[in-house]
Amino acid sequence: MAAPTATTEPATRLRRFVVWRQLNKLRWLILVIVFAMLVLLPLLHVYQTYTAAHAYDLLSPGEKQLYDVMETIAAPFVSDPAEDLDAIKGNTWSGSFWGYKISDPLAALGQVAAGLNLYWPFLLTALVPLLLTIFFGRFFCGWICPATFLYELNSNFASWLRWAGIRVGNRRFDKRIKYGVLALGLILSAVSGSVLTGAIYPPAIIGREIYYTIAQGGLGVGTIFFLATLLFDILVARRGFCRYLCPGGALYSLLGRYRLVRIRRIVETCNDCAKCNVVCEFDLDPLRDGFGQECNNCTACIAICPTDALTFTLRPRDYPEQGPGHLGRHYRGDGEAPGEADAAP
Amino acid sequence: MTRRGFLKRWLSGAALLGVAALLYGVTPLLAPRRAKAKRNYLRPPGALKDDAAFIAACIGCGVCGEVCPPRCIKFHIRDGGGAVNTPYIDAAEKACILCDKCMEVCPTESLTMMPRQEIDMGVAVIDERACYPWVDRGVCGACVSICPLGKKAIGYKMWNQYRPVVRDACVGCGLCVEVCPHPSVPIWVVARPMGVKA
Repeated sequence: MAAPTATTEPATRLRRFVVWRQLNKLRWLILVIVFAMLVLLPLLHVYQTYTAAHAYDLLSPGEKQLYDVMETIAAPFVSDPAEDLDAIKGNTWSGSFWGYKISDPLAALGQVAAGLNLYWPFLLTALVPLLLTIFFGRFFCGWICPATFLYELNSNFASWLRWAGIRVGNRRFDKRIKYGVLALGLILSAVSGSVLTGAIYPPAIIGREIYYTIAQGGLGVGTIFFLATLLFDILVARRGFCRYLCPGGALYSLLGRYRLVRIRRIVETCNDCAKCNVVCEFDLDPLRDGFGQECNNCTACIAICPTDALTFTLRPRDYPEQGPGHLGRHYRGDGEAPGEADAAP
Repeated sequence: MTRRGFLKRWLSGAALLGVAALLYGVTPLLAPRRAKAKRNYLRPPGALKDDAAFIAACIGCGVCGEVCPPRCIKFHIRDGGGAVNTPYIDAAEKACILCDKCMEVCPTESLTMMPRQEIDMGVAVIDERACYPWVDRGVCGACVSICPLGKKAIGYKMWNQYRPVVRDACVGCGLCVEVCPHPSVPIWVVARPMGVKA
């Protein structure tokens, strides 16, 4: 077992579990799978409509190719594609798995605001994500959201730009802006009678735009909005939309305020290198135990920590600031580390 | 708190709301309001009667379109203003086959499961000044043969075979519109007048 270098460190009861260091890779794998499913499901749907029409000979060469590829993919799993492939449908905004429907809590909230009535069969479809969010916090943002996949690639792209000497935006704003976006979205949804929160929510946009592109003959308006957020992230603030503007992120942050599964710093092991603060996509402050409600448990800080000083814990609140690590006060400097500027709300 | 601090807080709060409002203000502008439709689009079967309620209830997930076997359900993808991302059916292009899958899969109340005879997407009307049998330009009967609801929904006029007439049980699926061979499509699905139901 690759235990932390135990020679120099004091024995800690909460020695980190070695697999947690690999969780970031697992997270990327899940993000890729979710995104691939969002592409695959509309393609399978198109294939289903071809099989339902029983007219293979009438398809164009390109359609035949799609048919053949999808048949190869689906054949091991289904006997009657037109019916059996209905088992998994939808996207992260709302989907159906073997008849069990799961919806985004923001969809439920926005729909309640737009119609000003409660339709329980729909609201109950958001129950499982809601409970998971209360337990795991903003995990959707880091582990599932198809927009996060693109946004993280986008911020990698921005760091290449920075490496190439091109200036990219790194402004900081008040993280509470997104709560204003959420509140205003709900109010405007109620006023306009249309689920506006879904129209500016990137994961919903991506799910439906991929579907529109593949099965409806073209991109919709959401693409313009999403491209604008990508530009915003490059030109103005790293992961700016998720940090400051996303209404869904706002909702999950509120729900995950007292989440039980959270990351903590082991102060005896920490050497104050501040890599965690630099790698944190959400501009949090793991170095000073400042995770707060915004943390999405993405484990990037755990993966980068050179001394394995970050670990998971089951606690409804963060640890109060534990002070400098084992190298002592002189090492940290006074408020020099990046990510220091913002105060948690 | 000082007066300056108080003002600062309120001003920054107002600025934050302004930024937030900008997002929602821009979004509907990206989807310009549809010009008066030349064609009447239908909502999918089982839709809420009141279109405003339908728009409010629909979350725009697109799953109804994703299960539709004939791919007749389309979406307002670049138009519709507030109704953007809501589903519709253009019967002349591709009509609903009443397979019930969209009603089954819809998570919200915008499409709810109902027996076939209670579905009300509209009602077909026939332009008797253009329909081939009605103007004595031959026999046709395409609309009558394709109707999934049979004789209670559309049949031939008594004493004059081959002239189609729409009856009470029509649910407005639009298959007759899709199949009509006349270039000007003299059969059409219109909204059922309020209070009239088969």
